[in-house]
Amino acid sequence: MHAEADAKKGSIMGLLSLDFLNDVRRMNKRQLYYQVLNFGMIVSSALMIWKGLMVVTGSESPIVVVLSGSMEPAFFRGDLLFLTNYQEEPVRVGEIVVFKIEGREIPIVHRVIKLHQKETGEIKFLTKGDNNSVDDRGLYAPGQLWLQRKDVVGRARGFVPYVGMVTILMNDYPKFKYLILACLGLFVLIHRE
Amino acid sequence: MYVYFRYKMSANKKNGVLSKWSLDGKPVKIDKWDGSAVKNALDDAAKKVLVDGYGYKENHVLMDIRLIICTVSCMFAITALIYDYLHPFPESRPILIVCVVSYFIMMAILTVYTTFKEKNIFLVAHKKDATGVDPDDVYTLASSLKRFDHMYSLTLTFTDGISNEMRHTTMKKSVATWVDENGSILFDLYEPDIRNLHDSITSEKKEK
Repeated sequence: MHAEADAKKGSIMGLLSLDFLNDVRRMNKRQLYYQVLNFGMIVSSALMIWKGLMVVTGSESPIVVVLSGSMEPAFFRGDLLFLTNYQEEPVRVGEIVVFKIEGREIPIVHRVIKLHQKETGEIKFLTKGDNNSVDDRGLYAPGQLWLQRKDVVGRARGFVPYVGMVTILMNDYPKFKYLILACLGLFVLIHRE
Repeated sequence: MYVYFRYKMSANKKNGVLSKWSLDGKPVKIDKWDGSAVKNALDDAAKKVLVDGYGYKENHVLMDIRLIICTVSCMFAITALIYDYLHPFPESRPILIVCVVSYFIMMAILTVYTTFKEKNIFLVAHKKDATGVDPDDVYTLASSLKRFDHMYSLTLTFTDGISNEMRHTTMKKSVATWVDENGSILFDLYEPDIRNLHDSITSEKKEK
């Protein structure tokens, strides 16, 4: 009964002439499982490198892409920034920080222009984009006048120009991104090394 | 898909080994310019000759250990992902450190395992002792096909169960010997070569 059903399925596959799947279809269950694992390992490696960077830099997002021109001429659209977020290093005026605002998904990269520090070490600060004519109070959450230490995602430590353009393109055309990801994933799954 | 294939394979078993190794009645056809596809097809065919043709029992331990190593590594990655999702970053740091370090250690273990233990072995097969008293004779098959090269080398190692004595024999031929212009594997040419390889090592045993 089962065999019959499977045989039927097999002939349907044959009709569709999915010849490129033959390599996969000849696999036994160990090889199939390894194929899936292999795909899992590629994803895992990327994930673990990212998590490893998070641990080393202390920032929840150690690499970000500049999405706007608000920091020109320091950073341009498409620059890739490396961030660190060591809690023991104080934030100072003039530094470029990446911070999150409640209610906004994408973090912002701007320069610190004013900073107040209490004797306890607690700080509050104001930021502004180099290329903007006003400070960031308009960008903050309604009623928020200052940023605090907990809002900081990281501080820019280095950058690579243009590399982030790929990310910007992918963000602008999400379908393109999913298409590429699907193709790569399928290739890894059906291709036996 | 694979269940169907297994069903088909078992149906074919009685009528010969490689002569009917096919999907939907079509001969095994591969992309002949894809070195790894060629190697995999030849490896699988050689495996079938020993396992189905000679009736040796395949020992999966070598492959299973690799599967376990990979599975454990993936588990570490999944743990890190889920834990970091449930307890966002600064809080999840200790667990992340454990997972990341373990993952890279597992990767190192995997590399060492595939280079030094597994080498290129793709089959370990046991020949059961007829009386069931003495330890099994063990056959292993290892192959290599360098990138952009057409010379396929297949090494058969025989380990005598009683004396623990090891013998190797290697066959090195161009893949063009067994793959035709269309990329079909010519099993009627390949199977005798494997059988020769096997018989040469076995007759050596008899001479002694």
